[in-house]
Amino acid sequence: MKTMENNHALIEPVAVTAYSALSACGMGNKALYQSLSANQSQLAPLSLFNITFPSYVGEIKHPLLDIGDQLADYNCRNARVALTALNDQQGGVRDAVEVAKEKYGAQRIGVIIGTSTSGLYETEAAYGVLLEEGKMPDDFHFVTEHAYQATARFMQLELGLTGVCYAISTACSSGAKAIAAGQRLINTGVCDAVLVGGVDTLCRLTLRGFRSLELVSSQPCTPMDKNRKGISIGEAAGLLLLEKCHADNASAMKVLSVGESSDAHHMSTPHPEGKGAALAMTNALQLAGIQAGEIDYLNLHATATKINDSVESRAVFSVFADTVPCSGNKGITGHTLGAAGALETIIVLAALQQQFIPGTQGLKELDEDCQCQVIQEPLQTQGMQIAMSNSFGFGGNNASVIVSL
Amino acid sequence: MMKQLFIKSAAVCCPDAEVLVPFKLHSSDIDKSLIPAGMRRRTSMTTRMAITAAKLACSQANSDTQNLASVFASLGGEIQVTDALCRLLPDDNELLSPTQFHNSVHNTTAGYWGILNQCQAPTTAIAAADDTFAMGLIEVWAQLQQQGGGERLLVCYDELWPQYLAPPIGQVAFACAFVLSSEGEQSIGAMTIPQVLSGNQQDLQPEWLKLTESAPAAAAIPLLLALQSKTAGSVPLNIKAPLWATQFVA
Repeated sequence: MKTMENNHALIEPVAVTAYSALSACGMGNKALYQSLSANQSQLAPLSLFNITFPSYVGEIKHPLLDIGDQLADYNCRNARVALTALNDQQGGVRDAVEVAKEKYGAQRIGVIIGTSTSGLYETEAAYGVLLEEGKMPDDFHFVTEHAYQATARFMQLELGLTGVCYAISTACSSGAKAIAAGQRLINTGVCDAVLVGGVDTLCRLTLRGFRSLELVSSQPCTPMDKNRKGISIGEAAGLLLLEKCHADNASAMKVLSVGESSDAHHMSTPHPEGKGAALAMTNALQLAGIQAGEIDYLNLHATATKINDSVESRAVFSVFADTVPCSGNKGITGHTLGAAGALETIIVLAALQQQFIPGTQGLKELDEDCQCQVIQEPLQTQGMQIAMSNSFGFGGNNASVIVSL
Repeated sequence: MMKQLFIKSAAVCCPDAEVLVPFKLHSSDIDKSLIPAGMRRRTSMTTRMAITAAKLACSQANSDTQNLASVFASLGGEIQVTDALCRLLPDDNELLSPTQFHNSVHNTTAGYWGILNQCQAPTTAIAAADDTFAMGLIEVWAQLQQQGGGERLLVCYDELWPQYLAPPIGQVAFACAFVLSSEGEQSIGAMTIPQVLSGNQQDLQPEWLKLTESAPAAAAIPLLLALQSKTAGSVPLNIKAPLWATQFVA
């Protein structure tokens, strides 16, 4: 057990008073934990729409809730995925927001949601109509479906909140950066609580776009494996209610810090030495006022592309050497892009709560380039107190989240 | 809590200067010389506009762009690139350009800005429909207060949009940039934290309302005008209820 008292944190922790994830693993934290503890891949061939190349995806098969009539203009798959996660009884995010509303007032609760493509899946269908008929379909609502803040705004209206509300869209680091923004808004007194997270859903643009970059694997992805052949895309909603720490949420797990950085190198290729990635991790440690040795588990970004994994392993080694157990979940969930930072923060919370280290599904033979301690099969453990999750996106946009029991 | 956010510089890039005549607001056209040729070929109108405004604001404030963290706020971001890709998607066999694909993300401008300035400081890309400018200011506020000092670059921009998406949004392209600081030294004005106003929009300037309906980033014009005329008072930050406003201090 480690104590935090003697450290010099540059940012106050915030309490995670409720959280829930919806992904290919199913609805809720329990379903996510079951897939992780069984190290069971949920990747399967795409069924949502047609593509002309082989690909496995982490598709949400759980039935989605319908958007109410009053907010019909917001109706899209992304909003339905968000609503389904919000209303998950087991995670209790919606109930926790209601309690927070009573406590702080509707104007004091922010909504910050990360996404990379928002309601683009429906927009793609609308373009089919546009090209055939020369105009968009009558029920096409760009600002409330497609635009980046659409899902954040939908949740704000659904919950009757009236305060700060925006989307963060920094590609695959979006969900992690939403957590960073939420922690800051609470710490600075701008908000008393913030509903943060990431919501991203499968669409043609991302499948075919990553295909154009020759980054999509035709088989389920194999992070950190010697023979890895690219990513498997997934979809998810990860929602967390962050609140000021006080006596009545003292038992809640906490976000200690989020470290952020830029590569300043290339739009779609990481810095070859992993400088930006290492900087995000060291910034997170510095903000939290802890040493690298205090991290008990590191959830890797580990997308399973050749270059991303080798650069990340180099960056991790430069910060931690081979002392921290690491693993990547994308062989189970797929790469959920703008939701990944939030989903994987929830995975790290599950690891702390259940005192286990998730495995790396798909990994058979560790790349000899990779010097960090990659865990293949899930391990039960004890005394785990603090963990980190990495997310790195296009544009060289990096974020590392640190959470604690 | 931080009481004021200090404005060290402000700049506007608007390719159609005519639309700014009623406001007597100084603006620049896209300055291609600010972006190296290799990057210019790969970047869109929105990125060139945003970078022009950002470069001008940073040089006015004499900022160290290699270490300046930034917030990029835009409703549509790379909408032209996204539109061109969406037009190909209905045909299952069309191949997408890999460059266009990675240039379609919302943080494209932020990414190129970082590469241009060799800046490894954090950058973020946000969107909040009509409230994009107000939320950009709040994100900057929280970052600076959290850090307990320092400077941030805020860029707010939207390019021309295809008019079948959300008319009249995107009929006019507009970008603006501010260097904001928690310290008052060499500032040209200061503002309080944006807050929701109770009341209606009766006294909002009609020309501004009309322009901002077509150019979401033009929400920044009242603040830019207050800076130009050094007039203290309440400054609106968006055009649709709930209204966000700040108190400008000259």
